[in-house]
Amino acid sequence: MSGARWWMATILAVALLVPTVTRAQSDSATVTAPPAAEAVKPAAPATAAKPGTRDECMTCHLDAESPEAIAYKNDIHRARGVTCADCHGGDPHQDDQDAAMNKAKGFIGVPKKQRIPVLCGSCHGGQDSRFTAQYKLKNVLTDYHGSAHERSLDTNAKGAQCVSCHGVHNIVAVTDSRSPVHASRVVDTCDRCHGDALYMRDFNPSLPVDQKEKYLTSVHGQRNAKGDWKVATCVSCHSNHAIRQVKDPRSPVYPTRIPETCAQCHANQKYMAGYNIPTTQFKDYKESVHGIALLKKSDLNAPACNSCHGNHGAAPPGVASVTAVCGQCHQSNEELYQRSAHQPVFAEKKLPACVVCHGNHKVKPTSDAMIAFDEPAPCATCHKDDAGDKAAPAMRRIRGLIDSLTVGQKEAEAVLARAENLGMDITDARYSLKDARQSRVQSRVAIHSFVEKEFEEAARPGIQVVAKARAAGEAAIHEHRFRRQGLVVSTLIVTFAALLLWLKIRQIERRQRGEDS
Amino acid sequence: MPGLVSRAQEWIRERLNIDPVVEFASHKTVPSWKGSFWYYFGGVSLFFFIVQVVTGILLLMYYQPGEKTAFESVRFIVTKVKFGWLIRSIHSWAANLFILAIFIHMFSVFFTKAFRRPRELTWYSGFILFALALGFGFSGYLLPWNTLAYFATKVGTTIVAVVPVVGEPIMQFLREGKDVTTATLTRFYGLHVAILPALFTVVLGLHMLLVQTQGMHEPESWKELPAAKRKSMPFFPNFLLRDLLLWLIVLNVLAILAVLFPWELGEKVDPFSAAPAGIRPEWYFLFTYQALKYFPAKMGPIDGEVVGILLFGLGGLLWFLVPWWDGRTPAGSRNRILNYVGIGVVLFIIVFTVLGVI
Repeated sequence: MSGARWWMATILAVALLVPTVTRAQSDSATVTAPPAAEAVKPAAPATAAKPGTRDECMTCHLDAESPEAIAYKNDIHRARGVTCADCHGGDPHQDDQDAAMNKAKGFIGVPKKQRIPVLCGSCHGGQDSRFTAQYKLKNVLTDYHGSAHERSLDTNAKGAQCVSCHGVHNIVAVTDSRSPVHASRVVDTCDRCHGDALYMRDFNPSLPVDQKEKYLTSVHGQRNAKGDWKVATCVSCHSNHAIRQVKDPRSPVYPTRIPETCAQCHANQKYMAGYNIPTTQFKDYKESVHGIALLKKSDLNAPACNSCHGNHGAAPPGVASVTAVCGQCHQSNEELYQRSAHQPVFAEKKLPACVVCHGNHKVKPTSDAMIAFDEPAPCATCHKDDAGDKAAPAMRRIRGLIDSLTVGQKEAEAVLARAENLGMDITDARYSLKDARQSRVQSRVAIHSFVEKEFEEAARPGIQVVAKARAAGEAAIHEHRFRRQGLVVSTLIVTFAALLLWLKIRQIERRQRGEDS
Repeated sequence: MPGLVSRAQEWIRERLNIDPVVEFASHKTVPSWKGSFWYYFGGVSLFFFIVQVVTGILLLMYYQPGEKTAFESVRFIVTKVKFGWLIRSIHSWAANLFILAIFIHMFSVFFTKAFRRPRELTWYSGFILFALALGFGFSGYLLPWNTLAYFATKVGTTIVAVVPVVGEPIMQFLREGKDVTTATLTRFYGLHVAILPALFTVVLGLHMLLVQTQGMHEPESWKELPAAKRKSMPFFPNFLLRDLLLWLIVLNVLAILAVLFPWELGEKVDPFSAAPAGIRPEWYFLFTYQALKYFPAKMGPIDGEVVGILLFGLGGLLWFLVPWWDGRTPAGSRNRILNYVGIGVVLFIIVFTVLGVI
């Protein structure tokens, strides 16, 4: 190699210097279960690009001890026959530098970052290349299109693209533990950007940057740290190439899709074998009030798995923290429970508070029948309807009050419906029943104090509203009857007057005829 | 009692010269023939007008026009005010029966040729009263400020805008702007309770003066009858008492309808909501509304709707001018052309109203 050629090669090598692994992810188009525990295989030994042909790029750059060329010796692409020219262009068969790096032959030097997805996509984007069919390459470019990362790249060259996660010149198979997107390393790879507040400020300043810290506290994170590659990592939930913002309904972590995403592992008996936890949560959740509200009614206020278990720090709530978890939404219930007589007893017996009466994943709609001494009412588990149970009289009275409210409301609605069918305007009375419904809701909250007086204070106004509404309905029915009766009377009077008038006319005309004749 | 009556008459006579009026009334007669029944519909129309004035004044005590008060005040009337429901229901029913009675009255006058000389002015004034009554109906319909009324008014005023040149300004005048708003409501309220009643009272006074001074029209066939065969009855008391008898019967019908089928209030206006399905105007506008639907989108270079509106306008004008063009058709008491025109108009109204309902 001549001196001039050596210098040119050195300058080119420096120009090609790009960070190797900066940001990483694993590889599958949709949300995937964590990869099965596979044997970590080293990359295949480097081979020549094509038997019988020389890759002059490698020859020259290895001579120049270019780090990229050295790294590329072990790159999976190299092993599969991808030459430098496949990405950088030029003619790899020319040993003359000018001829090899001839722009007329497509030499582009270091690809612009925004162009990298298209460049990689020439093989990994569903297009026919000499590698696509041979290695059954998936079309991941389509997944990447429209992703949050692509949008970040569109606005800023620092945005995430292929090499951000997979590295460059030293890419190995996803199943290779050296890959930055292997289950053992992917969290760190994502964290390189998502844990960097300064970096994230350019894209989404409101996004937390402590996901990794939380993940390390989660059951997933702890097991992952112990070498369990089956447990969920970032890509298991967020997907890999098609990552979208959480607020995007297409994202697997959009609220309505979270249960299904978690269920991919947690409802899979085979996959979960060995973890010794149930796999019925998703089925139970779908039947629960929360599941129906979120999945059927699309009420985004309803809790998904992460609302109770956390997302990045996912873990089952302990007995002591159940009330705090439920209290995120049911604040009043929690406050009343915390100062109730039940709280110390449940705590002492290590009973999981709210879950004792309402269940966990299969939270059923509450009903008045929950306050009863017979199974399956939850009260019946501990309380008996006998003189020995000091709470029994208060329970009976509370049940009486709630029944008065519920039954009274139904009766009032029936009376109002009758009045309405008669054509009477009962709008005000019907509107007032909203207060009764409100009172019912409040009394159902007040029950968590398990104090009769507090319950009565909530239920009594509703009972009074119901009574007034019913009275208004009955008054309307009475008024309707009065109108009919009034009509009969007035019609009779007017008819009688008409009759008298007719007789008078006949009398006058008879007299006139008499006078005429 | 007779003494008291005569003393009262004497008291009035000393202060007012009513003798000519009494003299006139005592000699006034009404033709008595098989078509005399139709004479009563003028009186029935008057009765409904009186009912409308009385119930309208009572409603006025509580009604408040305005975005936040119109619907609410009508609801207050029908739910809280003693017998308010009855007054409002009677007002609504009587409004419809009023227009029905005018229709019957008008066609009976038409078919009996009662508009002929010298009663042309009675016909013209009657036609104006008919138009004013339609104005009452159109303006009053909006006042409860409910959804149906809102969209019906929107459609109705839009049709007005179709008239070339003057249509758009008239629509904007009626709406007091480009759209139906509370400004329209206030405008319609003013029309309904002040302007139209004032105009109606004046024209009604003229109409009744003409009827009284000219007397009832005698049937055309009487021209060939000898005087001895022309039967009549005294206006006072015979015809007047019969009028009163019919008024009592009509009052009963009105009360039964108002109580058994109270007029619904509907839902309050929500200008941002979609127009309710099957929106259509009140029955007395329905035949025009329905007929317009059958016009093609384009008739030559002109919009079909414009042609339709102009045709209706021309029809109305010809109807108004019946006394004028009747005199120019072949003479004779039984003017067949007139009868065919009348039957054609009645059939047209019935057919298109039925088509609009089904």
